[in-house]
Amino acid sequence: MSFAEPIGQVGSGAALELTNVSKLFGALAAISDVSLSVRPGERRAVLGSNGAGKTTLFNCVTGDFLPTTGTIRLFGEDVTAFPAYERIRRGLRRTYQISLLFGGLTVSDNVYLACRGVSRGRFSLLRPRKGDALAAQTEELIDAVRLTPVRDTKVAELSYGQQRQLEIALALAGAPRFILFDEPAAGLSPTERGELVKILTGLPDHIGFIIIEHDMDVALRVAESVTMMHNGRVFKEGKPEEIEEDPEVQELYLGGGHE
Amino acid sequence: MQGFAARHPFWALVIIVVAAALIWLVFAPWPDALEDLIGRKKVFLNAVIGGITLGALYFLVAAGFTLIFGLMRNVNLAHGSLYLVGGYLGFEVAEATGLWLLAFPVVFVIVGAFGLLLQNQVFRRMEGEELRQTMVTIGISVVMADLMLWIWGAQSYTLITPEWIAGPATLPIISAVKSNGELVYLKFPAVRVAIFFAALVIGVAMWLVLNRTRLGMLVRAGVDDRDMLQASGVRIQYVFLAVFAFGAGLAGMGGIVGGTFQSLTPGEDTRYLLASLVVVIVGGMGSIPGAAIGALIIGLSEQIGVVYAPTYSVVFTFLIMAVVLAFRPQGLLGARL
Amino acid sequence: MSLAERRVEREPTAIDRIPAPVWALAAILLTMPAYANDFILFQVMGWTFILGTIALSLMFLAGYGGMVSLIQMTVAGLAGYMVALFGNSGIESLSLFLPWYVYIPLAIVIAAIFGTIVGALAVRTEGIYTIMITLAIASAFFYFSRQNYSIFNGYTGFNLVIPPDLFGVDWRQPVAFYYLSGGVALLAYLAVVYVSRSPFGLALQGVRDNPRRMAALGFNVTAHRIAAYTFAAVIAAFGGILLVWQNSQISPGTSGIPAVIDILVIAVVGGIGRPIGPFIGALIYVLLRTFSPDVLTALDLSGERFKTVIGLGFLIIVFWSPDGVLGLWDKWRAARDKAEDPLRRRAK
Ligand SMILES: Nc1ncnc2c1ncn2[C@@H]1O[C@H](COP(=O)(O)OP(=O)(O)OP(=O)(O)O)[C@@H](O)[C@H]1O
Ligand SMILES: [Mg+2]
Repeated sequence: MSFAEPIGQVGSGAALELTNVSKLFGALAAISDVSLSVRPGERRAVLGSNGAGKTTLFNCVTGDFLPTTGTIRLFGEDVTAFPAYERIRRGLRRTYQISLLFGGLTVSDNVYLACRGVSRGRFSLLRPRKGDALAAQTEELIDAVRLTPVRDTKVAELSYGQQRQLEIALALAGAPRFILFDEPAAGLSPTERGELVKILTGLPDHIGFIIIEHDMDVALRVAESVTMMHNGRVFKEGKPEEIEEDPEVQELYLGGGHE
Repeated sequence: MQGFAARHPFWALVIIVVAAALIWLVFAPWPDALEDLIGRKKVFLNAVIGGITLGALYFLVAAGFTLIFGLMRNVNLAHGSLYLVGGYLGFEVAEATGLWLLAFPVVFVIVGAFGLLLQNQVFRRMEGEELRQTMVTIGISVVMADLMLWIWGAQSYTLITPEWIAGPATLPIISAVKSNGELVYLKFPAVRVAIFFAALVIGVAMWLVLNRTRLGMLVRAGVDDRDMLQASGVRIQYVFLAVFAFGAGLAGMGGIVGGTFQSLTPGEDTRYLLASLVVVIVGGMGSIPGAAIGALIIGLSEQIGVVYAPTYSVVFTFLIMAVVLAFRPQGLLGARL
Repeated sequence: MSLAERRVEREPTAIDRIPAPVWALAAILLTMPAYANDFILFQVMGWTFILGTIALSLMFLAGYGGMVSLIQMTVAGLAGYMVALFGNSGIESLSLFLPWYVYIPLAIVIAAIFGTIVGALAVRTEGIYTIMITLAIASAFFYFSRQNYSIFNGYTGFNLVIPPDLFGVDWRQPVAFYYLSGGVALLAYLAVVYVSRSPFGLALQGVRDNPRRMAALGFNVTAHRIAAYTFAAVIAAFGGILLVWQNSQISPGTSGIPAVIDILVIAVVGGIGRPIGPFIGALIYVLLRTFSPDVLTALDLSGERFKTVIGLGFLIIVFWSPDGVLGLWDKWRAARDKAEDPLRRRAK
């Protein structure tokens, strides 16, 4: 935390701005000195080999971990020391690479919780009445990710693909302004990937996102800019075509990510 | 240590000031104004030294508890029962043979063997199920408490202190200055002094074993990363058994010590379980130096509290725990949760 | 009880969903005073309802919140003490003799505040640490109440603490007390069932299963856990007030370590997965406690050994069925269903 900076200062107008963010796990620098700036509404893909630090980057942004050094600004506000829930209430959302769902609850309870998390009445002791606004929103979201047939099924009993879909529904609840997708397409069939791309491209224009994706095809279809990460550092940034043609990137990717 | 001072200059300063004040209070003759304010120095000194010896006893009991927890993540809520059963058995041995010292090895072996049984038959069956382990040990302690009540009844027992440490010892601490300028040195029951040194020796020995031997290295490696140790092919089961037996035996010997300078009654098992809990919560789970510091703090606060604010001495202990929890939930010397 | 009926009237479909055994149970409980003697009503059933209510508060924390708190009996004891202190007792120098509509809410609020503070400390740690910390605080309370004479009246505590003479009924009459404690237990049970499906209750279950995800959905996980302690403290406080009225006295032993452990035993033996579990556990406990001395004496053993019996029973349950008696029941039903339906066995 820095006292020198006026609180609430609107910086460059970026939706998300990272300045020299590092995260150490013991001696291992999972990410080091990452600076990144994403405009509101921008769609960015983050590419990189296994262990490049992509998920760690997300964890620092959402507050799952506190970064070791560096500052994180969300819509101009310094959120570096904020707990995760404060960031979420400011419009940030995320999905997890390995689904983190409530296995013992039904699909609709899961989505309902997500909607409730970003609205008031989180501590309400009164059961929701039928037809209240949140219930309607819940149904809408379930429908958007095509899980209506299984809405009363326990999440632990869903197929893998359905669980991935539910992951996305949880990130769309409320009024998201910026979303972090962590490998949403991993393990999906080609058809499911197609649907995913449809959902992502169909998001309203004002919602920006970062998507981590190993599948270049998916990444390049939904993203307008690309950040390459390697060994915890940002290694290249640019338009998808530039990145694709970059010889260094090609060497890294086609060479299997080893030096 | 230097790292601590650099990171927390304020707390380092507080600790230094408190320690300096304590040392001054113990060694300097008190000015009359101070004696008027808080009473005779002798009373204070007795409380402090009583607190240190009580802390030594707490350390003996809590060291095993914290070691077992740190290495195996086993919470043995029957630890207090091991203390009490050790005390009763020690009483029987000393009574039958007339040899106070003989009670120690006998109890160490018997209670240690019981610890082996617990580890092998209870904890190993529920590896990783902390909650169930906790509940089972609660059940065991309930049954043991009732069985001990059955065998030894509700009266209180005290082991007779052998003659060679029965009298008072003169400590090199000035308790008062007579009007003719003669210095009065503090006298204190020798048995308590002996307990303190025994705890010191055991504590240092444990520290040495942990830090200087191969077994200690294995144990510490297990505390830091059990999976790694398991993967490295060490027969971790034997390490577990050894540590559990040792911790149990130590608690049993603690019972003899407690039965000598206090007494053994039903209910002492919970008291020492709770003391162990508080000690390791304050000192930090799994840390031997933490247990030592925690035991010292709790022992001192209890004894000083009993002398100066009898009604609130428990509250002091509790407040210390609450403050530690609020600012350092992992305990003073504990690793991050 | 009238509350429950009104609820049922509003939602007529709910009646159809109540299974027959529940109707039977309700009928038995309602008509019990007609054929049961005073001892059964007051001592066995009254005590079951009270211990069940206190254990229910633990079930709420443990089952829905994943936090095994040993502070519930202490919270109940504190509420009992506050009733004696602000209301009436034989210790006229301490009791304030306020009217019931002041001292009952006051006792509950104080107990809730205490429960919240303990929760705020306990939630800083997890799992077994919670058990240890709440146990340590519970014992601190015990020793403090034993040493303090200005509030808790030390060793002796308070005697002659009797319920107010509301509506001209003497609530310590067995039949009246039976309905009073049963009514409170039923309300507490319904409240827990209802809240478990409320936003707060759902969120609590979310926090139990996956705190990290809950934070990523915008929930303040710590605040939810603490609030759960507050809610549970209110339930425990009701149990504690009934307890002091039933015994007509309260002393440090009321919330001593054995009593604290008993509540855990009751909740675990009954099953902490469902709100009915604690009441089943309480009934088993009270029956054992009441009748095992007779049985033991008949077997030529000392009646005192009932603690061994209870401890062994607890051990057996924890060893064989972590979900308590309810878990055994579920296992038995699953086994029966499997046996009847060979297809299900394959699917499993
Ligand atoms: N909680 C943690 N504790 C210790 N090390 C961690 C932790 N999380 C990540 N790491 C390490 O940090 C490095 C970066 O991991 P990260 O998960 O961010 O990579 P990634 O780019 O998301 O990889 P992948 O493509 O496999 O998802 C890895 O070496 C990983 O082992
Ligand atoms: Mg990743």
